[in-house]
Amino acid sequence: MNSNEIYNLLKSFFPDAVIDYKDDKPVEPYIIVSAKEIDKICLFLRDEENLQFDYLSCLSSVDFDNDNLAAVYNLYSFVHNHKLNIKVIVPKSDPVIKTVSSVWNTANWHEREAYDLMGIIFDEHPDFRRILLPDDWEGYPLRKDYKVQEFYNGMKVPY
Amino acid sequence: MFDYLTSLLGDLNIIAYFIVPVPALLFVSIFTLFAVLAERKISAYMQDRYGPNRTGKGILQTVADMAKLIQKEFISPSHADRWLFELAPFIVFASVFMGYAVIPFATVYVGTDLNLGLFYFFAITSLSVIGILIAGWASHNKYTLIGAMRSAAQIVSYEIPAVLSALTVVMFAGTLSMQSIVVAQSGGIHNWYVFGGPGDVSRILMIPFMAASCLIFFIATLAETNRTPFDIPEGESEIVAGFNLEYSGMKFAFFFFAEYSQMFAVAAVLSTLFLGGWQSPFGNLIPVLNTPLFQIFWFLLKGLLIVYVQMWLRWTLPRLRVDQLMTMCWKYLIPITLIIVLIVGFYLVIR
Amino acid sequence: MRYLNRLDSKIKQYEHGNFVVTSVDKFLNWARLSSMWQMTFGLACCAIEMMATSASHYDFDRFGIIPRPSPRHADMIIISGTVTLKMATRIKKLYDQMPEPKYIISMGSCSNCGGPYWEHGYHVLKGIDRIIPVDVYVPGCPPRPEALLEGVLKLQDKIRNQSTYKKNKA
Repeated sequence: MNSNEIYNLLKSFFPDAVIDYKDDKPVEPYIIVSAKEIDKICLFLRDEENLQFDYLSCLSSVDFDNDNLAAVYNLYSFVHNHKLNIKVIVPKSDPVIKTVSSVWNTANWHEREAYDLMGIIFDEHPDFRRILLPDDWEGYPLRKDYKVQEFYNGMKVPY
Repeated sequence: MFDYLTSLLGDLNIIAYFIVPVPALLFVSIFTLFAVLAERKISAYMQDRYGPNRTGKGILQTVADMAKLIQKEFISPSHADRWLFELAPFIVFASVFMGYAVIPFATVYVGTDLNLGLFYFFAITSLSVIGILIAGWASHNKYTLIGAMRSAAQIVSYEIPAVLSALTVVMFAGTLSMQSIVVAQSGGIHNWYVFGGPGDVSRILMIPFMAASCLIFFIATLAETNRTPFDIPEGESEIVAGFNLEYSGMKFAFFFFAEYSQMFAVAAVLSTLFLGGWQSPFGNLIPVLNTPLFQIFWFLLKGLLIVYVQMWLRWTLPRLRVDQLMTMCWKYLIPITLIIVLIVGFYLVIR
Repeated sequence: MRYLNRLDSKIKQYEHGNFVVTSVDKFLNWARLSSMWQMTFGLACCAIEMMATSASHYDFDRFGIIPRPSPRHADMIIISGTVTLKMATRIKKLYDQMPEPKYIISMGSCSNCGGPYWEHGYHVLKGIDRIIPVDVYVPGCPPRPEALLEGVLKLQDKIRNQSTYKKNKA
């Protein structure tokens, strides 16, 4: 199934959670989904017979320069051999997304990384803490408006 | 030697008590000095590189090590038990060195020829377990405690195959005294216990069992000295340095020395029991080789050969996991040694 | 054996008149530089070069340097690789656990000055000398084994000129 058919199928099941479908760009087509229903949609995507997306290839985060953050989910199905991309766009003032680590276990660490580096907060995550940076780090480095802190534990950070 | 000195000194034989251990102590110190260097050189040549060859052509390396260790700061953990922490290295070294009292170097020199020589040796070297446990506990560090417990379990378990394989020799010789065991192996290489001991032709039946017994004794004593492949207690990549983690400077040097001294002590006991001790392999064919000077030479040769094999094994074999170690001892070595003891017993009864 | 010969043929007079002390100084320095036990501390790519230096072709053991896992047994630490801020607190702890006298060699650009991460590396400590006092810097990214060996020899020279008793020399 290609992404258009999957989008129509999803839209028929979740009319208000699935927001948009973009395929006119030079990148692969993606579906924009609302932040609060993402875990139900992902459960449906994994369990539905025609779709069976059993593999979350990657979960990344994006900082648009206009006060919005996004999380991008790349899904793949080993059974049917088709791919899907899902985006969730949240405002920077309230970057809360429901976690999908109950659906795919790999999302556990990917979401911790997205939180660590971009600051997207995932609700009901089983182990929500920073993964790469030290636990008492201030700020989210991969944001476009990030300023390096001067001192960390008494050590001067900038050159 | 003790008797000779007493006859010489007459009433002052209290001084003999102080002179008799001196050659052994000297030998142990010099041996350890060279054993550390030898280990590094042997391991280097096996790994296709040169060992230490910059410090006075390599020979002075251990001297430099010792002098450096003396200059180190004394550090002890803040929550450590002071007295036990200081005491542990000395217990380990003392127990190992006391085992040298019964090893016969030659006809004339044996520290003291106890009737229970072999029993005394095993009993005393087991005291090093206490030292290791104290070291692991007093360092107030969970990793040292794990290392010490593993070491205690290992040493105590491997005592059994060691003693049982030594028992086969004792059954042949009929005595626990080390000097008598060596004297019973006189007459040439065919009379050594690893080949079945002195006796008639039927002892050829015993050669595989005695050889197996020798091998098991070697393995078991290798485990007692915490050498690779049994060096889980001090495994470098496993639990950092094991029970001697928190020791710096001279105290660490004591543990180091104790390990190398124990290596030679068990090598000496193995050569005494199975390889004929200070007996020359040519027996009575070349009588000049039976004088005390040559006896010491043969003894050292055999002991150092076993030490070389121990070092060789260290740099060849990977380390055994602690459960594999225990499995090997309890499931394989002990049944095999029990069967060998049974068979040797049957043979001796029939003979 | 040269050093032992020098011990009993030294008749140099100093202001203090104490020639024996100076020779003991030399002996102690010689002992310290001939058997530096290093604490294995490979963090990143420079660790590979350090391992290559310890291996057969360029041998560390010739100089008496053996790797010890515990900081309590070591008297030299070669910081090789990128030092992140997260690791830097641990390095300080380990450095404090080493007994005196101790020496540090900073190997590679990353531990000298932050290396290729100096401009945008928010997580990198720009040079290990911001937290511990370094004795020898070995430049390179990564330095070749010969460069690391030269660093070690420079450290040996530094130790040779150290003085425990005469306080006017550094």
